[in-house]
Amino acid sequence: MNPFWDYLNAIWNILRKDLQVEWRGKQGVPVMLVFALLVVFLFNFALQLSPDLQAGLAAGLLWVSLAFASTLGLNRSVSLEQENKAMDGLLMAPVDRSAIFFGKFLSNFSFTFLVGLVLLPVFSLFYQQNMFKSMLVLVIILGLGAYTSLGTLLAALSIQTRTRDVLLPVLLYPLALPILIAAVEASRSILAGQPISDYQSWMTFLLACNILFTAAGLMFFETILEE
Amino acid sequence: MTKKPKLLKFIDILCLILVPGALVLILFYTPTERVMGSVQKVFYFHVSAAWAGMLSFLIAAAAGGVYLSTRRQKWDWLSLSSIEVGLVFGLIAILSGMIWAQPIWNTWWVWDPRLTTTAIMELIYLAYFILRSSLNTPESQARLGAVYAIVSAATVPLTFFSIRLFRTIHPVVIAAGGSGGSAFNMTPRMLLAFFVSLFVFTLLLIDLVWHRSRLAKIQAINQGEGV
Repeated sequence: MNPFWDYLNAIWNILRKDLQVEWRGKQGVPVMLVFALLVVFLFNFALQLSPDLQAGLAAGLLWVSLAFASTLGLNRSVSLEQENKAMDGLLMAPVDRSAIFFGKFLSNFSFTFLVGLVLLPVFSLFYQQNMFKSMLVLVIILGLGAYTSLGTLLAALSIQTRTRDVLLPVLLYPLALPILIAAVEASRSILAGQPISDYQSWMTFLLACNILFTAAGLMFFETILEE
Repeated sequence: MTKKPKLLKFIDILCLILVPGALVLILFYTPTERVMGSVQKVFYFHVSAAWAGMLSFLIAAAAGGVYLSTRRQKWDWLSLSSIEVGLVFGLIAILSGMIWAQPIWNTWWVWDPRLTTTAIMELIYLAYFILRSSLNTPESQARLGAVYAIVSAATVPLTFFSIRLFRTIHPVVIAAGGSGGSAFNMTPRMLLAFFVSLFVFTLLLIDLVWHRSRLAKIQAINQGEGV
C-alpha cells in the first residue's frame, strides 16, 4: 500500500477508536451537552435574558457555551490516553505522529459538533428564533474546526504539566479569542438575517484560522509529545 | 562564573544616559500639543513601550524556533527572557495609555481593538509562565515553552485583525497618507523625540533581555553544581 493511504488509515483508526470508546462509554458528549445547557441557564439568570433575545446575544451565548463545553471534551480526549499509559502505545505505533493529531482532532471535532447540533434546536426553543440555518451550521463547522484543532494541540501540551488538565482553559481561551470573535460575529449576522456579503470576511477569516492551526498541529504535535 | 561582557557594560551606560536624556527631550524640547495639552507627552514612552513589548514577543517566538531546531539552551533563555521583559513593557504601555485615556477619553478603559489586543497579549504570556512553572524538567520547559511562544505570536496579529473590524477610537498617529502628505501627524520636534524614545526603548529592551538571559544562564549553572 502506498504511504499516503497508510497515513489516512492511521487517522481513521484513531478516530474510529475514539468514536467506539465514546459509543460504549457515553462519557464525553453527554457531559459536554449537560454542561453547555448549564452554562446557558447560568447566563440566563446572571444576565437576566429575555426569551425574545437579540440575535447578537443568542450568537454570543451559543459560542460561549460551546467554547466552555469543548474544554471538557478536549481534556478528556487526552487524559483518556494517559490512563493505563495508552498514549505510550499510540506513540509506539509505526505511524507519523501528526496522524495521531489528526485522529484526535477529528474525534474532538465530531463530539463538539454533535453538541452544537443538539444546542441549535434547544436555542430555537428557548429564545424563540429559528436557528436552523445552513449558513449557521457552516459557521459552527468552521468555528469548531479551528477551535478544536488549536484545542487538541494545547490539550496535548497541558497534559504534560503537573497541573494536568487544569491548565487548558488558561492556555486555550486567550489564544482562541480571534476564532470566537469571528464565529460570534458571523453567527450574529446570520441570525439577524443579513446578506452573505456582510459576514463573508468573517467566514474567510475562520477558514484561515482552520488552516493555520491545523498546520501548527502538524508541525508541533510531534515536538510536544516527544520524551 | 561568567564575566559580564564589555558590550553589555557599554549598553548599560548608554541606557543610563539615554533614558533620562529622552525624558528631558520629551519634557522640555517637544512642543505642548494644542488640544490635549501636556498629557500628550505620555505618547512618546507609551508607543515606545508598546513597540518594545511587541518586538520582544517576536524575538521570543524566533528564539523558540531556533531552540526547537538546535536544542541549545541559550536560545530558550533568550526566549524566556524576552517574554518576561516584554510582559513588563506591555504593562507599561497599558498603564501609560490609561493615564492618557482618563483625561482624553474620560475613561480609564474602553474595549478598543488595541487595548483589548494588548490586554489579551498580556494574559497569553502570563499563561506562558504558568505553563513553565508547572513543568518539571528544564528540557520540557524549554521545548513546550518554545511551541507555546510560537503559536502565541501567530495568534496575536489574528486577534488584532479580528477586533479591528469593529470600530476603533484609538488615535492613529502613524497612518499611510496622513495629513500634509507625510505619514506622521507630528511636528519635526515631536518626531525627533518620538524616534529617540523608540531607539532608547529598543536599546533598553536589548539591555534588559541580555541581563535576564545571563541570569538564567547563571541560575542553570548554579543548579547544575547543586545536584
